[in-house]
Amino acid sequence: MDPGVRMMERVRARDVSAFESLYDAYHRLVFGIGLRMLGDPSMAEDLTQTVFMKIWTAPEAFRGGSFVAWVSRVARNRALDVLRSRAVHPEIAFPADLPLEGALDDDVLAGLDAQRVRDALATLPTEQRGLIELGFFGGVTHQELARRTQTPLGTVKTRIRSGLRRLRETLGEGVSR
Amino acid sequence: MNDRTSRDDMMEMVALYALGVLPREEAALVAAFLANDESARAEYFDLRASADALAYSAEEPVDSARSARMKERLLARVRNEPPTGSIARRRIGLNAGWLWAASLATAASILLAISSSVQVSSLQGRLSQASARNGSLSTQVTQAQRESQRDRQMLTDLVSRDARRYEVPQGAVVVRGDRVYFALSKLPALPKGKVYQAWTLPKGAKAVQPSLTFSPNADGVAVVALPVDASKVGAVAVSVEPEGGSKSPTTTPTFVRPIS
Repeated sequence: MDPGVRMMERVRARDVSAFESLYDAYHRLVFGIGLRMLGDPSMAEDLTQTVFMKIWTAPEAFRGGSFVAWVSRVARNRALDVLRSRAVHPEIAFPADLPLEGALDDDVLAGLDAQRVRDALATLPTEQRGLIELGFFGGVTHQELARRTQTPLGTVKTRIRSGLRRLRETLGEGVSR
Repeated sequence: MNDRTSRDDMMEMVALYALGVLPREEAALVAAFLANDESARAEYFDLRASADALAYSAEEPVDSARSARMKERLLARVRNEPPTGSIARRRIGLNAGWLWAASLATAASILLAISSSVQVSSLQGRLSQASARNGSLSTQVTQAQRESQRDRQMLTDLVSRDARRYEVPQGAVVVRGDRVYFALSKLPALPKGKVYQAWTLPKGAKAVQPSLTFSPNADGVAVVALPVDASKVGAVAVSVEPEGGSKSPTTTPTFVRPIS
């Protein structure tokens, strides 16, 4: 079982030491997502504070499944909020938030770590990897991806689908449902 | 365009949805598609597993001083936090915090100007304007956050494995928790002046109650969150009504679906 799930059970019981352990285990991930998306260490630090305070004040928001996946989506959604709020042109389209649950079972991602995912990403053709990373961490829509990479929209769609499928195969059992 | 091509196109959109790069409106359309297609949902779950795994690659070593400072700051807040209950402050989140920081910075700079200028009244006017502008921005932020939370909930519910799905000829009625949605994808276009209207039948009641009106997009797709508590509703229906809606149905329902 995802160790975060066990820690969250104790956090729900207002166990500060469990919360501290949770922070120790996952703050690098949350901070890293903030840094990749916002591009500023201070903002990433604020985002980390916000995400962990949410965990402490509303632990019921985590309804089971993979804690890593959930906290990553919370961090990404928060970062998107920040990007939206600082948009110079509010009419710019931003991606919708990610759904917070519903995709995965308890043991998903349990066998993964940062290096294994980076290695798997490195096996993708450059053009697929670039689109996938920019899409996930860039906080931009598919149209913006096409514009920034000067790639036809249809090609963007095909590459992202192919890349995610290939990534799924490469990661294999580590992301089994 | 044949059905196969159309489905392939939709499956590419599903991949974009899994990666989280679709804007709000298109995300809702894909969620409606997923709500009605089990095999598409299966691929979506696979692709989203890949997208979820991407987050791992962002993990960064945090230098020890920053890490310690962040932890100290966080634990100080945690220890000062009331043990239970709703905390309105936490709903404000990062955006509003930054907004208010910006507001305070604006106010501070104006106050400094006051001390060094003889045009006090002019500056006070600017301060009032700044306060009013900040109030307006704060309202906008709160509204945007509410919309964002509602969207997030809807997107989560529509593709959730534990949602109850009730098929109707035009798509599905999706129920999760106390929330009810229409995820419809085959609605005929209506003549000008006509809209679709939702109806709900409270449990134990004999007459339907009017709910909201809606129109599908050009492809016949509509995703609608009904403002009702699912636990109190026995059935839902849709009919075609004049723009602005009716108090009771004036045409034969497009569908009637028990949901309990």
